[in-house]
Amino acid sequence: MKNTLFQGLKELIHICQMELKIIFHDEGVFIFCILVPLGYPLFYSYIYTTELMREVPVTVIDDSKTALSRDFIRKLDASQWIRVVGYSNNVPDAREQIKEQRTYGFFEIPSDFSDRIVEGEQVNVGLYSDMSAMLYYKGMFIGATDVSLEMNKKIKIARIGKATNEEEQIIASPVKNREVPLSNPQQGFASFLIPAILVLVMQQTLLLGIGMAGGTAAETGEYRDLVATSKRNRGTLHILCGRAFAYFSIYAVQAAYMVCIVPKLFGLTQLSQGADLILFMIPYILSCVFFSLALSILMRNREMSILVFVFTSIPLLFISGISWPGSAVPPFWKGVSWLFPSTFGINGFVRMNTMGATISQVAVEWRALWLQAVAYFVLAYMSCRTIIYREGRNDKTELREPFM
Amino acid sequence: MCSRPIYFYCIIGAPLFCLIFFTSLMNQGLPHDLPIGVVDLDNSSNSRTIIRTLNAMDLLKVEAVYHSQSEARDAVQRNKIYGFLSIPRGFSASLQAFRRPTLTYYTSYALLVPGSLTYGAMRKAAELVSGAAVRSQLFAKGATENQAMAFIQPIVIETHATFNPSLNYSVYLCNTLIPGVMMLLISLMTVYSIGSEVKFNTSRYWLEKGNHSILLSLGAKELPYTLAFFIIGFFCDFYLYGILKFPCNGGFLPMLFLTLCMVLVAQALGIIFFSLIPTLRMALSLSCLWGVVSFSICGFTFPEIAMNGPVQALSYLFPLRHYYLIYGSQTLDGNSMIYSWTSYVFLFIFILLPFIFMIRLKRELIHSFYIP
Repeated sequence: MKNTLFQGLKELIHICQMELKIIFHDEGVFIFCILVPLGYPLFYSYIYTTELMREVPVTVIDDSKTALSRDFIRKLDASQWIRVVGYSNNVPDAREQIKEQRTYGFFEIPSDFSDRIVEGEQVNVGLYSDMSAMLYYKGMFIGATDVSLEMNKKIKIARIGKATNEEEQIIASPVKNREVPLSNPQQGFASFLIPAILVLVMQQTLLLGIGMAGGTAAETGEYRDLVATSKRNRGTLHILCGRAFAYFSIYAVQAAYMVCIVPKLFGLTQLSQGADLILFMIPYILSCVFFSLALSILMRNREMSILVFVFTSIPLLFISGISWPGSAVPPFWKGVSWLFPSTFGINGFVRMNTMGATISQVAVEWRALWLQAVAYFVLAYMSCRTIIYREGRNDKTELREPFM
Repeated sequence: MCSRPIYFYCIIGAPLFCLIFFTSLMNQGLPHDLPIGVVDLDNSSNSRTIIRTLNAMDLLKVEAVYHSQSEARDAVQRNKIYGFLSIPRGFSASLQAFRRPTLTYYTSYALLVPGSLTYGAMRKAAELVSGAAVRSQLFAKGATENQAMAFIQPIVIETHATFNPSLNYSVYLCNTLIPGVMMLLISLMTVYSIGSEVKFNTSRYWLEKGNHSILLSLGAKELPYTLAFFIIGFFCDFYLYGILKFPCNGGFLPMLFLTLCMVLVAQALGIIFFSLIPTLRMALSLSCLWGVVSFSICGFTFPEIAMNGPVQALSYLFPLRHYYLIYGSQTLDGNSMIYSWTSYVFLFIFILLPFIFMIRLKRELIHSFYIP
């Protein structure tokens, strides 16, 4: 009994070594499993390193030309979201500036701006935004709302006339309001997107790397080696565990690099505890490895995995509830998203890393990942059996290998 | 081309999947009923009015009422709600005694879209509560509705989100995401189609068929792909602008012209990549890198003007950036094509570049062997 266990372990280590040799000797697999996970996060983080869309360039149509309207414009320009680059005479003029992509919007202050305010009437200021990117609109809207609220308060106080400071405040705003950001307070783009991308890159590179190794084996008939091994020990289990362990050990290092070092390099939020992260990453890597091993059976040639898997990164990012709110994902797609380890991996990691959740608060995702790991293990086992059966039959009928 | 399932998958399956996927995923346009929480420590008719105000907003749905901030914060971290509004103990009493109570809203920008949407909605709700309190005082003093509103909000910002007034995220994202995915697939397919000739050692035979003219051989090989992808592109345009009625203010024909340019540019990119690195796997990897980075660097989510200088310069090398600029100007804003001439020039340069590489490509096709 002890002897067979020892024998099995030895076999497992042997297969693991063989797989590691493939990873480090096959240039293609090496690129996907080693280089891309190392380099890609750095490049990506660099693109978003400025974090914020500040100072949207706009023009102003000032039909009022009064002290009050100029005050409004000055305040707009002072806002961190808006930069007033010039004046326009009329709407077509301002639109022309947008067409030439010198500005991304404009404000229109009506001619009776001051008069109406002095007479105690309401006045509309027009905000026109180019909609080719949502952040232009968002910047202009937040900036203008801040300015209008600030000016409104002053106008109200002026209208009340004689009153104590306290009374003025009460009438201007009887209820105070205050925002407390719970996470990512500067609303940074990198802080929001990079953690999700890091997690997704792990799954996608594993799919590509293992897919490529599988495709190559199918093409060159290397799977027959597996048959040989399985014949010796009747160990599909050994083969599967040995291969999985090779990838797991590499990705354990990659994961440490991605979740600890990359965010630190770019000064991104890192709120999660070390032990919690390790606990969470184990099932994630396992489920990704078995998921990739199970799918790699479909790869019939070396390059196929690139054609099949690369484009899925973009739908997977959207379906995970990061770019598009999870509550707005239709039920059908929600169901589909549960098939992929990345959905739970991204959700869990973002909440731990960026929102400071503990492992118990991401228990749903954590359990789902374990469930996936087990399910994909079974699937990978079955696909491994299929390969051995397929190749074994080929051996018998066509090749008549000597060890039969 | 039709003989193997992988071609079917890349030319028809994947693009159509993405078309259906993105448009149905974001069919809400602007997300609505985002779940938020309320921490009600006041338990008064006033606080219940606030909850009703929040619930009445399209954007929000009050998922639960909590009894403490820590409970609500836990719910945020468990992803049950995106944020919450906290009503302090003794809110009503303070309001009536003019002690200016504070409404606090907690937002989470770990998820940027729901974060900023809930922020906007909760802030608006808080302003409404404040406004309602002033209004009731003013009514008591005999003010009219108009006078009251003019007092509460002397300056109103009237927003005009040009050509996308409902802030439809589907309109904003799908128009660049879908062509982006298509360009990625087209350049992959182009590299694969040329590289397979080398891989299966048929490249010399292929050149012979084309009278030893690389132009003829390549043209004859790629034309069916151009046609196939253009038909798919046409269908995508028809679906987006014809059936879903996304804004297409520049007319359908210029849009089709842009689609044709998109197909040709992506093919050109594939040819350039394979000429530069005549190894099938490496050229495919390069196409992937280009295609995937395009989505970030083209600036349709995070504007290019906010990026670092070197990244801005680099973005010109990614055709999706020029496509996105043309789409924004020509199709969304309905400007004439002349306004996007610089972007078109860049696209044409990309389309013409392969001709420079032709001779190199021919040499490689004759002499190179498949490197796994």
